[in-house]
Amino acid sequence: MSLRDMIAEARGLDARLLAAHAAGDGDALVALYGAAGEREEAGGALDAACFYYTHAYVYALEAGHAAAAALHARLVAHGRER
Amino acid sequence: MKDAARDDLASVLCDVARATGLPNAHYTDPATFAEEREAVLFASWAGIGFAKDVPEPGDANPIDFLGLPLVAVRGRDGAVRVFQNTCRHRGMILVREKGKLRGMIRCPYHSWSYALDGRLVATPHVGGPGHNTHDAVDRETLGLIEVRSHVWRDVIFVNVSGTAPEFEDHARPVIDRWRDFEGKALHHGGAGSGFALDVATNWKLAVENYCESYHLPWVHPGLNSYSRLEDHYNIEAPGSHSGQGTLVYRQFRGDDGKTFPDFADLPEKWDAGAEYIALYPNVLFGVHRDHAFAIVLEPRGLERTVEHIELYYASPDTDAGMRRANAALWKTVFEEDVFVVEGMQRGRHGPGFDGGRFSPAMDGPTHCFHAWVAGKLRAARAQGLAAE
Repeated sequence: MSLRDMIAEARGLDARLLAAHAAGDGDALVALYGAAGEREEAGGALDAACFYYTHAYVYALEAGHAAAAALHARLVAHGRER
Repeated sequence: MKDAARDDLASVLCDVARATGLPNAHYTDPATFAEEREAVLFASWAGIGFAKDVPEPGDANPIDFLGLPLVAVRGRDGAVRVFQNTCRHRGMILVREKGKLRGMIRCPYHSWSYALDGRLVATPHVGGPGHNTHDAVDRETLGLIEVRSHVWRDVIFVNVSGTAPEFEDHARPVIDRWRDFEGKALHHGGAGSGFALDVATNWKLAVENYCESYHLPWVHPGLNSYSRLEDHYNIEAPGSHSGQGTLVYRQFRGDDGKTFPDFADLPEKWDAGAEYIALYPNVLFGVHRDHAFAIVLEPRGLERTVEHIELYYASPDTDAGMRRANAALWKTVFEEDVFVVEGMQRGRHGPGFDGGRFSPAMDGPTHCFHAWVAGKLRAARAQGLAAE
């Protein structure tokens, strides 16, 4: 992916996150923060990945989202949650 | 002021024939109001709301009770719990409006998250960005602060101090008195079967007016044609409740003469009997063969009370038009009492008023309540003195 594409993708994600926050759309927040975490993890940025996973996890807890258990397990595996 | 009030409690606790009512300070003095908040309302089982307002798991209703921020939550297990509506982290208010929680309670400030049973489940970034634990933050000890609560006849009661006897023991005299109704489902009448009256009075005057029948022929003249003063009797259970009963309850009838269905298996005494009881400190109940109501008196301040009135039926399937008409009827009755409780409040700013004299024949239920309040204050003062 070119630098230009990466910037465009990041801007797109930011816009979608802001829209989901504005709408109070918990399901979308779980998906978007989860995807952001996976992208960072794939790039080897574990701290950044866990930052996003944490947000996905918290919004999943709030929304009663089924992804909460998997996100919790992922954070535990990285030593960020118990 | 306080020393004078202390002396005056002795005359409140006398026999009704010699007693005077609670002195003016109990209606007009902010310091005495603050004292009663602790000794009377927080130390006993006070009503704060209705379980019907949190009907399903995940429903939450924030309630301000005399400045104490609370939230009533219906858990996944169906139980209603009451918590202090305050995050254990920075003290932020957690639930800001009535609604349904799909999952957990997330603090809107730093997102500490609590299960509906109060457990602290998540502490995001508490150990630094992306690190959600820290040895210094023990989630086991940082759950929401639960306030002792109990639901009876749909009213949510709380004992803020945590020191009152069990609710069943506290309310035993009235539970026993109304054992004919105990355990029988109450079905709220739905939209239109609840209303609130915002009244410029101290909350105690609403109790006092409710529990005596002496005023009925003067304030509710519409009752005179079928429910005369001599058809009523006093109810006095010192230390617990007081009120009045009638022997000539007449069922509400719709246009076609239809009545509401009765609560099942009631003995004959309820055919034309009805009772109206103040369960101390601040909840008023009424029972009839075919409907009931509960009133939570919400003290909004020294001289302001909101009366929350809700009506219930024996069956979930009653006629909507009849329910509306019945609610309108009761609203008229309770509105007729407003000028009285507001007038007594204004009257208590007259410095010569000494708490008033009671009619030993008619005012027993009111004196019973005054004596209970005075006893609670005395006990708290004695405890305070012992601690000094």
